[in-house]
Amino acid sequence: MQWRRMLASCAIVAATTVPPALCAATYPALAPLPPVPVPRDNPQTPAKIELGRLLFWDYRLSGDSSMPCAVCHLPDRGWGDGAPLSRGYPGTKHWRNSQTVLNSAYYNKLFWDGSVTSLETQAPAAAEGSVAGNGDSSVMEMRLRFVPEYVEGFKAVFGTDWPRINDAWRAIAAYERTIVSDARKVPFDRHMNGEARALNAAQLAGMKLFYGKAGCIQCHNGPLASDQKYYDTGVPDHPGFQDDPLLQITHRWQHYQRGVPEAMYRGATRDYGLYYQTKNPKDIGKFRTPSLRELKYTAPYMHNGVFTTLQQVVDFYDAGGGKAFNGTALLKPLKLTADEKQQLVAFLEALSMTEPLVEEKPRLPGGYRPLPPPAQ
Amino acid sequence: MFRRDFLAGAQFVVTLALAAALTTAVGLLPSHAAESLPDLAPMPETKPGNPAMIALGRYFFFDYRLSGDRSLSCASCHDPRKGWGDAQALSTGYSSMEYFRNTPTVVNARHRRRFMWDGRLDGADAGTLVRDMITETHFMNMDSRLMQERLKQIPEYEALWKQWRNDDINGMRVYNVIGEFIRTLETTNAPFDRFVRGDAAAISEEAKAGYALFKGKARCVSCHDGPLGADGKLHNTGVPEHPDVLRNPLRTITMLRHYATSGMPNYMRARVDVGAYAITKDRRDTGKFNTAQLRDLKYTAPYMHNGVFRTLNEVIDFYDRGGGAGSELKPLGLDAGEKRALREFLLTLSGDPVIVKDPGQPEFAVRTFGRN
Repeated sequence: MQWRRMLASCAIVAATTVPPALCAATYPALAPLPPVPVPRDNPQTPAKIELGRLLFWDYRLSGDSSMPCAVCHLPDRGWGDGAPLSRGYPGTKHWRNSQTVLNSAYYNKLFWDGSVTSLETQAPAAAEGSVAGNGDSSVMEMRLRFVPEYVEGFKAVFGTDWPRINDAWRAIAAYERTIVSDARKVPFDRHMNGEARALNAAQLAGMKLFYGKAGCIQCHNGPLASDQKYYDTGVPDHPGFQDDPLLQITHRWQHYQRGVPEAMYRGATRDYGLYYQTKNPKDIGKFRTPSLRELKYTAPYMHNGVFTTLQQVVDFYDAGGGKAFNGTALLKPLKLTADEKQQLVAFLEALSMTEPLVEEKPRLPGGYRPLPPPAQ
Repeated sequence: MFRRDFLAGAQFVVTLALAAALTTAVGLLPSHAAESLPDLAPMPETKPGNPAMIALGRYFFFDYRLSGDRSLSCASCHDPRKGWGDAQALSTGYSSMEYFRNTPTVVNARHRRRFMWDGRLDGADAGTLVRDMITETHFMNMDSRLMQERLKQIPEYEALWKQWRNDDINGMRVYNVIGEFIRTLETTNAPFDRFVRGDAAAISEEAKAGYALFKGKARCVSCHDGPLGADGKLHNTGVPEHPDVLRNPLRTITMLRHYATSGMPNYMRARVDVGAYAITKDRRDTGKFNTAQLRDLKYTAPYMHNGVFRTLNEVIDFYDRGGGAGSELKPLGLDAGEKRALREFLLTLSGDPVIVKDPGQPEFAVRTFGRN
């Protein structure tokens, strides 16, 4: 609470006169991640995590049995899908980037516009979303009931006679809470935990820029390197966004289904971001600050994957961001030198593990089985 | 036989027995006797529909983009070359799913009093029927809003829509447009209709004998009356279960899921198709299904709500036995010649094949950016 108030007052000052660097000290510092927060109504247990791991990969949790969570969140592609824009449900093209699952357990809201408040609600939003999993909760639930291993597994974990779909989302959330950075492998975390020479000279110089001249800390702060707030930094359109009918279909669908006023729907020229949530014109074009952890493995970047390298991202912010609807005074041209940019990229990479967290696809429970006669 | 196996110990035994006892005691709907004698009727004259809607609806009917993953059109299951059904006993449905009932023909939909095998939709509203088929997860699994946005990116559709009304393609109206097209699909030139209208030579002498049986000894007319040969009511004739519904878990999944979402009690215990009970929750409706029309039988095999009979001979044999377990019918005692005559007559209710050509799918082309 305390730092949030300080942050707010500083932001106001920064927006008027004081250069960001002067305020840096009042932003929550980058730090190793604390233990994963676990909601009281969904405690972690090994059996639940294991069940969630299977479900994360299980194709049956989608409309046409082809789109498990793992299709858009592939462990060997940084738990995203490696493409600028998420592939979307067969027959559709998504208009946003698939975000990494890594460290998603630390966010207070999920999706680029913060439309859900927990991993437990993110999972069904994706599995049921028309341009993602397009599954119907009742049919997905019934499918699980015809897989004997799941009937047993859900009974052991949740104590129900038959699998319930909400418990599937809880198990997946529990599993996702295990997909986090290992501080022992993150150079920055090792540095903070007292290891000498965990960061090299360029990385240390980059850190100084991060807190100072580059002003990254204004939004990318705290252990997650995200203030979990929403900004319009003027990220350019994805190439083809205006010309590809499939992208326009899903983009306009988003306008329609999120219930924006008619004039806004008809005049849609860009992804409105947070506005879909709040319907406040001041929120048009704002997206949640992403974490900077594990960037090494999670290219391409931004809500529409428009930048393929960290160098491009740094160049973008060096120019003070792009053409924004609701621009933030926090962004100004930075006038970084080429060396400084390289140092910044070096530091950003030090926020990633030295080797990726990869998981093999587990052996899934077998096919559907006929139901036994009902118990007496 | 399999019905008995799977029913053993289940509550449905009690339910079915109860239903059978009730209907047998009451007899064959005495209300029929009180009214003027039921009979078949020729196809009525109909007013032509809205031409612009029909033209557009024909495109939509054949367009794969009306399903969630763009793999199915209405015509995938209601194939004009297969009597506007799919010629299978049990419908396939959406990708990775399989359904537990037969795909009925859409021909003569405008004259049906109730839609769906369990009679859950009113026949006056073809648009709602279309909406259910397109949005239902085990049929076309389509989000109406996404469908709307897809159709708006097809300039030909935009132009055709403008011929109908001066606004934008709208998800809800799309269903009515397809409904308007479906309402044009009717049986025409059936020999029976010509016969009733005075052409004595339109049907054979054997068929005429069959007609007499239909109204008399075989008592078909007690349920199969009016222009379609369907009373629009629910009946339990004890049609055997299709064994694949329990053998193939994909079919049991869609069946139990249908029961679950219909709010049926104890749906996980169901091992037979309970029919209208899932909708009404009235135990007397267990095993009852919407009377099938007798028009176009020539093109619409296999028969019954689960396609369990492949030929009309099997159907006639079944009713000659008085139907199956729990049936509200009595044995008929037809001889082989009478059965042949009946079959001959039934075929006179079929008209010319209803042929509609697939107009093809106009391509997507992006609308003017920022003008929706």
